[in-house]
This record gives sequence, structure tokens and C-alpha cells, in this order.
Amino acid sequence: MRQGRERVGYQLIVVSVLVLIAAVLASLSLGATGITLSALGRVLHAYVFGSTDAERVTEQLVLLDIRLPRTLLGVFVGAALAVSGAMMQGLFRNPLADPGIVGVSSGAALAAVATIALGNSLAAPWTKAFGVYALPFAAFLGGFLTTTLLVLIAGRRGQLMVGTLLLAGIAIGAMSGALTGLIAYASDDRELRDLTLWSLGSLSGASWPKVMAILPFMAIIFLALPRVTRALNGFLLGEAEAFHLGIDVERMKWLIIFATAASVGAAVAVAGIVGFVGIVVPHFIRLIAGPDHRFVLPCSALLGAALLLLADVIARLAVRPAELPLGIVMAAIGAPVFLHLVLRRGVGGLE
Amino acid sequence: MLEAREIVLERRGRRLLDGIDIAIPSGLVTAIVGPNGAGKSMLLKVLAGELAPTAGSVQLDGKDLRTFSALALARRRAMVPQSTNLSFPFTVVEVVRLGASVPGFDGIKTRAHELADQALQCVGLEGFGARLYNELSGGEKQRVHIARALCQLDAAHRAEGETTVLMLDEPTSSLDLAHQVRVLDEARRQASIGRAVLLVIHDLNLAAAWADDIVLVSAGRIRARGKPAEIFDNGILSEAYGCAIQVNRTPAPGVPYMLPHLIAAASRRGEAG
Amino acid sequence: MLKVSSLAPAGLVCALALAVMTSVTSAQTEKPGAAPPSAVVAIGGDITEILYAIGAEKRIVAVDATSQFPPEALQEKKNVGYMRALSTEGVLSVNGDLIIASDRAGPPDVVKALKSAPVKYIEIADDFSPGSIANKVQQVARAVGLDAAGESLAARIGRDFDKLAELRKQIKRPLRVLFLLNVANGRATVGGAQSSADAILKLAGAENAAATVTGYKPVSDEALVEIRPDAVVGMRRSGSGHETDQIASIKGLSTSPAVKNNRILQMDGLYLLGFGPRSPAAALDLMRWLYPELPFAQTGHRQ
Repeated sequence: MRQGRERVGYQLIVVSVLVLIAAVLASLSLGATGITLSALGRVLHAYVFGSTDAERVTEQLVLLDIRLPRTLLGVFVGAALAVSGAMMQGLFRNPLADPGIVGVSSGAALAAVATIALGNSLAAPWTKAFGVYALPFAAFLGGFLTTTLLVLIAGRRGQLMVGTLLLAGIAIGAMSGALTGLIAYASDDRELRDLTLWSLGSLSGASWPKVMAILPFMAIIFLALPRVTRALNGFLLGEAEAFHLGIDVERMKWLIIFATAASVGAAVAVAGIVGFVGIVVPHFIRLIAGPDHRFVLPCSALLGAALLLLADVIARLAVRPAELPLGIVMAAIGAPVFLHLVLRRGVGGLE
Repeated sequence: MLEAREIVLERRGRRLLDGIDIAIPSGLVTAIVGPNGAGKSMLLKVLAGELAPTAGSVQLDGKDLRTFSALALARRRAMVPQSTNLSFPFTVVEVVRLGASVPGFDGIKTRAHELADQALQCVGLEGFGARLYNELSGGEKQRVHIARALCQLDAAHRAEGETTVLMLDEPTSSLDLAHQVRVLDEARRQASIGRAVLLVIHDLNLAAAWADDIVLVSAGRIRARGKPAEIFDNGILSEAYGCAIQVNRTPAPGVPYMLPHLIAAASRRGEAG
Repeated sequence: MLKVSSLAPAGLVCALALAVMTSVTSAQTEKPGAAPPSAVVAIGGDITEILYAIGAEKRIVAVDATSQFPPEALQEKKNVGYMRALSTEGVLSVNGDLIIASDRAGPPDVVKALKSAPVKYIEIADDFSPGSIANKVQQVARAVGLDAAGESLAARIGRDFDKLAELRKQIKRPLRVLFLLNVANGRATVGGAQSSADAILKLAGAENAAATVTGYKPVSDEALVEIRPDAVVGMRRSGSGHETDQIASIKGLSTSPAVKNNRILQMDGLYLLGFGPRSPAAALDLMRWLYPELPFAQTGHRQ
């Protein structure tokens, strides 16, 4: 009985790995064209020995250049959002905290909106310089700069004040919201439509260069994970107690904030705004295995990735050959599951 | 030996601690007493390294506390703050095991359960391991944190002869009589195995019965220090607390026990009635 | 920039892999297409309209969500979604042999991927000028091998625009016309300078009364008072017949000549602003309503 939750935790990791493998296979074999993984052997053969058969080329294009990068991006975006959510909730000691609190989302949205709406005027040199990657770069930089600004404000006495961070985050969020609104006001119908679509999220633009571009951020978050696990457990008792437990509180706060900003910034840049994962997945895991971050963090990464892939598969199949925005699907499948959980298990096991 | 020299602590222009010199010897229970707002908890936080003093220094075995990393410090001292609240539903054993999770302890993975069990037993919480922390009573929560601190000290591997300190900020404030006795007995036992034990405590009678050494603090300064029999004196206490206090003694060995001026209080009640 | 430099070594490996892949695919696209394409994916409402107008509708396999005219396009053909939210695999899955897309199609990464796919991709430039419509028609017709039909349609469109230009010269006093995109909660969104509405108003010989704003913008009642249009053109939406009253009830317009003389017209939005083959007819319809005194030929296309 004593080891009950720990055993559940290890079991959950195993189950999460299996679920993610299933989701990856589904994501690789399902799509509008009806090409399945069974074509992989042929494709690899054709790839190695060279083939100009049109059917092989299409299969190769779909499997290797469309679905594979899309799946990898999905894994990264889902894992990054869920892990960042878990880390923010641990840092702010609030199950409703979300990566957006540190300003990443609002800053990224502002930069993205500016790139979409001003791409032909003020921001033209920027879009020329980066081509199709102007938007992801802008979104990433926007998110990162906002977070840096916020951290400078909240950390001006050398100590990162979590309360100040929260309030300054709200203020800066409102400010970038206002600027975003201003740009939206000044943009035409088509640009508005683009803005709306971007804000609903999508993985449809996945490509190998994008996968390469986010690899460093994936590395950041996975290097940070083992380092912050114990710190986050300590933070659940409060900052003072965490310090008494030997946790370098200030350094950990900075590490958590920057890992979050980097990974969420990169995720927003490649997929637009996808809500829900960051709050629901960690909560789900806490309901099952408790709040120990040794389980919450890895399971969040695995199940966040799986959930995002699942939503993406539905997004591309539901109205094929067209595609639904990812955010819509995510909310549509996530919200009922979440409600069911909350109703059945209560908010955090406090029956 | 934990030692503070010329400690001054200022916050927002207010001087909270003023010229504190104190040494906490190993193997003894030292109790810090004094009126509300005297700076007792602040002093404890400075000694724990949680607050950096405005002037002066704290030294552990002759080394300035500021040169210790949080981790190195955690191996040498454990502290239980006055109050803690948990935002997520940890179980009791999960909280206690946090104490055994300080990295660098060898073989802790395998011994953690054992250590946690032992610590829970020390504070009378056998069988509470799987209970959710948030569902416990105030006194039970307090004992969980004390168990966590005990677990932290037991788990730490360190060189022979290094000072380890157990710091408890009002450990008995929400405990019933039986558990007050249990926790203070445990504090004594910790001192008997060579640890320095430092308590902030309000109940002068408990301090008189369990502490070896009393430090009386008021208005940020140490007013008196010594054995309970010396410190607990009508004049010293009445001056420090600004209130008439009657010191009595039990039959041999003559432990002092303190009461407010009961006759005066009763007579005020009489007048009002 | 930050991202690119930090992944140079990993990127190199992948770039090599990509180079191999793309060289295979580009070799594929070079294949000479002797037979005319038989499965066209039309992305852009104007492109679909042109394909139908030149009698190539049988060759269309899929259209995008903006292809609302003719209505049967979206009923009979597969729908690959909104033209700025395409999906690479979705577009490929309809097994087309030619993609004809407006240069406004997106998102950019998907368009880039489609261009590198073993399917021919033709991009059609787009702006709101008579010349560009004829150009579009010729390009689209050439792409499906119906050059002759394209030439004759383009010529007809050119003639119609010439006729419009002739008629415009006979206008004595151009009217100041306000285009209302919609009226929501009593607030009007108008078509300003550089909007498609501005272009069609000019073609119909009117002066855009809202030329002081750019694009489609909501304006306040007070600004509307200042605009004082001679006539108002609104968008007709299916299923609501009371929009003329709604326009007339806007406070800022109540003192304008347009409302006083009841000069309010509702027109089909796609017809008026689509800038496809029906554009000259739409401009002519608008002109006929604005300047009934002009000498119109009897053969107008009444929508």
C-alpha cells in the first residue's frame, strides 16, 4: 500500500510509452492519401536504389517528407507544451498555471500577427530575409523577448519574485494583446482570416527544416528535465522549504522559466497556438499517479506528444482532403475527457 | 559548531536583529524564547542560511554560511519552518521522502523507504504513509514536516565530526500535550546523538523542562542566555515580556514553571463582574 | 538566425538527405506533359470560375472552399479547404495531375511542399485590374490546353471592359458611392482605398466615398456623417431581405443623399468582388443602377 502510488507511477510511464508508440504509428500511417506504413519498405528500397516511378515518388513524398516531419513536430509540440505546463504549475504552485503566464504566448502571438499583417509593408525586409520561416522565427523571438523582459522586471533584485512575475505577466500580456488588437484592426479581411487560422494552430506546414530548427529546443527541454525534477517537488512545499532541502531556488527558477520560454516559443512558432495540452495532460497524470514530478514530467512529455498526434490525425482525417485547425480538435476531444475526469476523480484527489 | 557574529538584519529600513552573537553547541537543545515580534524566527532563518544578514556573519564549523551551496547546507542542517502549505496532494510518505532525496547520498534509493518509516515512527505517525497530506489535521501536518527534517539528517552522508543542526520553528504550536512530549523527547534524542538542536518556542514551561540552554530575545537583541534555572527569573522575564510573570519551581529537582500574575488577573475579573 | 547557426552540423546531414530527395522529385516534375491534364485542382474562386467559363469543368477534380461560383463546383467536386489553410497531403490525396492556384494560396510551407511534389503546380497572379483578369483567363486556359477558349473569353472580357471605359467617359458628374461590407450592431464596415470594392466602384464609374480609409475598416457614425455618399452599395447575403432597411437606419447615414433619395443597392458579394470572368458584367450592373441615364446596349448581363 505504501508503495502504491510509486508503482502506479512506473506503470504509467510504461503505458505512456506504449500509447506514444501507437500514436506515432497512427500518425505515420493515416492521412488523406490512404498511403499506409506498408509502403515504407517499397519507399526505402526506391530511396536507396533510386526510382522514378511516379507512385513510389508520391509514396516517398507522403511518408518521408510530409508525415514523418509532421509526426516529429507533433511529438515535440505536444511534449513541449505539456512539460512546460507541468513545470509552470509546479513553479507557481497552482494547477491552473499555464506556460502563457510567462508571456511566451502573448509575445509570440504579437510577433506572428505583426509578421502576417505587416509582411508586405513594415515587416517586408524581415519576411524577405527569412522567406517561409519569417513567421516561425518572429513568433519564437517575440515569445523569448517577452519572457526576458518579464523576468528582468520580476527579477530586478536578483531574486525572481513569483508573485511579481504573475502580475507583470498579466500586464505585459494585456499590453501585447492591445498591440495585437491594434494590428488586427489595421489588417484586411484576408489577413484577419490568416490571423484567426494561425491562432487555432496547425501542423500542416511541417517540413524537415522546421524539424531541424526545433531540435535544439527539444534538447534544451530534455536536458533541463532531470535537473528540475527534484526542485519542482521541493517547490511544492514552498520556496523556503525547497531551499532547506538543498535546492538552489533562484537558479532553478531561471532554468525552469527559460526552458519553458524556449520550448513553448519554438512550439508556438511551428504550430501556432495550441491550448489545452499544458493544463490537461499534467492534471490527468497527477490524478492518476500523484504530484511527484519524477512521474509527472516524463509522463507529461509522453502523453502530451501522444495527445497532440491523436488530435492531429483527427484534424487531417475529419474533413479530408481539407483539414481542421488543430486547436479545435484538441479542445473537442480534450474537454469532455477532462470534465469526465474532474467529475469522477475530483480536483486533485481532494475528495 | 554553528556560530553567529555581530548579526544585523534590516528590512525596509527597520532593524529586526541588532548585534546578535550566539554559538549553538552540538549535543545540546537550545531554545530561543521571547515575546512576539522579538525577531526569533528571523534569527532562526539567518542561522539556517535562508536570509542573508545585513551585517555580520554566520559560520558553520568555522566556514561562512555564504560559501556553502544550498546542497552542501542541506546535508548539514534541516529546518522545519513555522508553517507550510502544499499546493498539490502529496502523500505523507512522499513529503517525508523529499528529505531523503538530497542528491549525493549514497544508497539512498534503497534505504529511503526505511528512513521515511523510521522518521514517521519518531513523531508518532506510524501507518500514515499513504494518507494524503492535505487531509491531515494541523498537528499531524506539523509532525510530517518534522519527520521530513529527521529523514533529511539521517540520510545525509558526511565526514566524521561535522556539525549537523536540527532547527525547528515552534514545533509544538499545534500539538496536543502527548505529542508535545513526543516531539520534544525526539529533539532531546537528536541532541544525545551529537546533533545541535535549535528550537524557537513560545511555551516557556516546555523550554524550561526540555532545553539545556535558553536564549531570551526581545526587540532584536539577546537579553539573556543561560540555563533555564538562571534565565527564568521574575525580573528578567517580566522586563522582557512587559508583563508580570510569576516563576515557580517544582519540587526537586526544581524545574522552573511560569504563570502570568494569576491573582492580579483574577482580581481584574472580579472588578469587571 | 539563432536557431540556424546552432544546428549547423545536424542540419548538414539533413540537408544532404533533402538534396537527394528533392533531386528525385524534381526529375519527376520535368516529365513532359503531352496529354492535357485531366484532373485539375483549382485553388481560388476566380480560377474555378474561369475553368467553368471555358468549359473545362469536367477536368476539375477538386476545388477550394472559396470556389462558391458556380454553386455546383463545391457540390460536385472535392473540397480541399480554405485556400489559405491547405494541407499538403490533403491536396495530393485527390490525385490531381495539375494544381492551378492563386498566388494568395497558403500557408507558405504547404505551397512550397506542393511545388516540390510530383504534380505540376501553376501559380496565377492576382490583382484587381481589368488586365489581370484577362491574363488570368489566358493562363488558366493554357494550363488545361484550351488556349482557344481562353483567348475568346479573354477577348470578350477585354471588349466588355472597353465598353465600360467608353460609358465611363459619358458620365457627367461621378457619384460618390459608399461600399458597406457589413453592418454589425449598428456599426458599418466600409470598403476603403485599395480594397476590391474600391476597384469595382471605379470600374463602374463611381468615386469611392470612403477613400480616406484603406482596406475594409469599421467606421464610426460620426465619420459616416462626414462621408455623405450619394449612393450606398451593400453585400447581399442569402436568407436576409431586410438589410436595406438596416442600412437606412444607420444614424450616420440618415442625413446623406443616399438615404434621403433611397439610393441603396444590395449586390451579391462574390459577383461584385470576385474579379473573375463575371467582373465586367458586375461593374456594368452597378453602373446601370448608378447612371440609368447612360446609353446602355440591350444585352446587359443581369445577375
